[in-house]
Amino acid sequence: MNRRTVFTLLLTYSMLHSAFAQEKAVKNIGLREVYVEGKRYKHAAEGVLSVDVLSSDSIQKYQAGSLMQTLSRLPGVNAIGIGASQSKPQIRGLGFNRVATVENGIKHEGQQWGLDHGLEIDQYSIGTAEIIKGAGSFMYGSDAIGGVIRLSPPAELQGNGLKGIVNLLTKSNNATYGGSLQLQGRKGNWVFGGGVTHLDYADYRVPTDTVYVYNYAVRLKDRQVRNTAGRETSFQLRGGYNSERFSSIVYLSNYHTRIGFFANAHGLEPRGVNTALYDQSDRDILYPSQQVNHFKLINRNYIVQGNHKIWVDLGYQRNYRQEFNNYTAHGYMPPVYPQDMNTPIHLERRYDKEIVNITLKDQFTLGNHRLTVGGNAEYQHNKIAGWSFLIPSYKQQALGAFIHDQYPINDQTMLYGALRYDYSHIHTSPYQDWFASMLENNQSVHVVRADELRRSFNSLVWSLGVTRQIGSWETKLNVGKSFRVPIAQELAANGVNYHYFSYEKGNASLSPEQSYQADFSLARRSRNIYLAFTPFFNYFANYIYLNPTSGYDQYYGAGNQIFEYAESKVRRYGAELKMEYRPLTHWKVELLGEYVRSEQLSGSKKGYTLPFSPAPSLLVDLSWFPKNSTHFQEPYISLDCKWTTGQDHIVPPEEKTAGYQVFNFRAGTQLTWGKSALQLRLQVQNMFNTKYMDHTSFYRLISLPEQGRNIVLSVGIPFGKENPS
Amino acid sequence: MNTQTQKLKPYALMALMLAFTIACKKDKENIDTEKPTIDLSAATAFPKQCSPIKRGSSFTFHAKLSDNVALGSYSIDVHHNFDHHSHSTEVEECTLEPLKKPVKPFVLVKSVNIPGQPQQYDAQLQIDVPADIDPGNYHFMIQVTDQSGWSTQRGISVRIVE
Repeated sequence: MNRRTVFTLLLTYSMLHSAFAQEKAVKNIGLREVYVEGKRYKHAAEGVLSVDVLSSDSIQKYQAGSLMQTLSRLPGVNAIGIGASQSKPQIRGLGFNRVATVENGIKHEGQQWGLDHGLEIDQYSIGTAEIIKGAGSFMYGSDAIGGVIRLSPPAELQGNGLKGIVNLLTKSNNATYGGSLQLQGRKGNWVFGGGVTHLDYADYRVPTDTVYVYNYAVRLKDRQVRNTAGRETSFQLRGGYNSERFSSIVYLSNYHTRIGFFANAHGLEPRGVNTALYDQSDRDILYPSQQVNHFKLINRNYIVQGNHKIWVDLGYQRNYRQEFNNYTAHGYMPPVYPQDMNTPIHLERRYDKEIVNITLKDQFTLGNHRLTVGGNAEYQHNKIAGWSFLIPSYKQQALGAFIHDQYPINDQTMLYGALRYDYSHIHTSPYQDWFASMLENNQSVHVVRADELRRSFNSLVWSLGVTRQIGSWETKLNVGKSFRVPIAQELAANGVNYHYFSYEKGNASLSPEQSYQADFSLARRSRNIYLAFTPFFNYFANYIYLNPTSGYDQYYGAGNQIFEYAESKVRRYGAELKMEYRPLTHWKVELLGEYVRSEQLSGSKKGYTLPFSPAPSLLVDLSWFPKNSTHFQEPYISLDCKWTTGQDHIVPPEEKTAGYQVFNFRAGTQLTWGKSALQLRLQVQNMFNTKYMDHTSFYRLISLPEQGRNIVLSVGIPFGKENPS
Repeated sequence: MNTQTQKLKPYALMALMLAFTIACKKDKENIDTEKPTIDLSAATAFPKQCSPIKRGSSFTFHAKLSDNVALGSYSIDVHHNFDHHSHSTEVEECTLEPLKKPVKPFVLVKSVNIPGQPQQYDAQLQIDVPADIDPGNYHFMIQVTDQSGWSTQRGISVRIVE
């Protein structure tokens, strides 16, 4: 988008009548941006857990390269970053298939197990993000063992009208140009909304000229991480009928991204590249790269019948993921790619997954008991293609049923109890190599990588909790058992991941992970101070873990190190601290700290931590909110300083990571002119261009530093109007 | 301060102290966090970066492997680099022949368990290079593990000559 177009758009929309003024009353920039809200969850099962809520306003304010990188400012929340624009969620040190992301009531399903697979969600489409720390198994079943990220669209308008906002943004570090349009409307009980986002960015910059992959020096042109450019396009549409007694809304969305991976090392293997070709443009996407399309169709319904509120959620998703790379003959693969192959020469892997869900829930009261009875069913079909094999195709069915009770003992004390039963069945397909390997006795054999496998799993989990208001202190205690069903990769992987020199072997006899946890929360809210302390303790009877062994497999593993899925007992504990303090009307000090420690108590890695253990960190923020004036409404200026300690607790093949300190600056205001308003926001991330490494980053293993200084500028142009209801 | 807050104070203090005790507990167990090493600096070590190897002959891979605790196993992988696409792990760069298509490249995959879990091991392995394979730039990949599963890779560029 060129400069003239931007200005034309700016002018056009600034002329439009604005509805921003009405929003101001409810918006309270500052103290309530990030908060654990007791009252919000007074009548909900998650009321007993520690929940952080972030509004779209805060998401805009703190926006980083991807949704999880934005949310990772919250204590206890981390991102497993894949470069500057993709990331995976991690809560209290657990990630991948141990965190469930739920959008519009339906669990988001992609290929969560993959190290370099980002979360396929457009951060500009989100109205509210809730992070439930602690096991949410009793609500969402398998995968919610470490926590839940729940995303909702913007709240529907209360009055009739049509309004929206155009956001234009640019980022200096990777020359991002992007825009997003969000729209919502209401006529009587009919509501609708939608959005469209497009982002286009170049290779990102790091504060170094040379990256050392082992001793091999990779020179970076203009300090840019070669081939990490990308584009992202997504849209959402929603519409339906909404009243107090009945609601039925359909959500349709599609997310599409194409993004390159660092060309000199995707994984641990250093690669020489034709720099003349790769460096001719910093916006082109060459190999290796990935292209992902995520389509969702969801229908959420509720009906109020007397004492009952009945919910029915239906969902269909398709995650279509392609990973492209130059064909490289590793191990016994033929030196030249055969011409008669059906698989395109650049298609390293493809995963095509379809998911159908149904969730039923009935909330009702029985005497003083507030009960929720529900169940859900899910069907997944995952198909694979490409010349590289990691996991087999599979079909999976899952059924779950739960009951949840909330019972007030008195005005201050509430008891919570939950019981859940799950059944699931997985059927993996056999897979045989398309090329021959040399086995014992000089036999040349097309190796069978996966046998057909059928496994069924049963789990019974429970949860008990209590909340108690003691003066101005809100206390919560929850204990429970949660579970996670082993995934296809853990059961049936039998492939060589050449990027990591690893031969990954599944274990068909694994049982579902069983985890016991205790979560505490102690919070106090007063006139000018908010304080929350949330420690937790967690014990896994059998944590499933990819264990690097001391052996190599000459035949099936083409000489690579054997990594086996194994189970071990694990103990984890930690805490988050959150404090917001307003010493003066226009000043705020914020303190966000997190600590988590994991230790394996059995197995061959006894004494070691778990992979991707986030280092303890403390964030101090100082904000100033100058007085409103005629043209500047709700201005803010803030400085974040985040200290992260080093991480010495590592497990093969990780490296110890040094501590670091990063500063972020933010400023913004609403610029008003009569009835029109513009929302201006500025961020300077990594102000001092600090060279540091993030222990939970995908590129940590090859010692690639994190993104350098990044100036993010966004302009929000609201339009339309809403009549008071 | 009201009485309820005062009543709660000791509990809050206890919770904080508990958290700090847990957080500050020193690790009792000694955990191996060191990778094994591959030493090719000895005069007898072979192959070294940019070494020529004659096809139709035999040579002995020779490296000194060591670990702070106990070695596991090692693995050798020889593959062509006619496409210039994969690279060595070494500082020094070798002269590359022009790009070419492989016809019958030399492929060797060999894993060896190191007996007795020693800290030092003098790895020696005889390798026969057939006479009919493509000459040119190759990679000689050496990997070694220790008993804890730490691994080290060295990718040596070699040249197979006629």
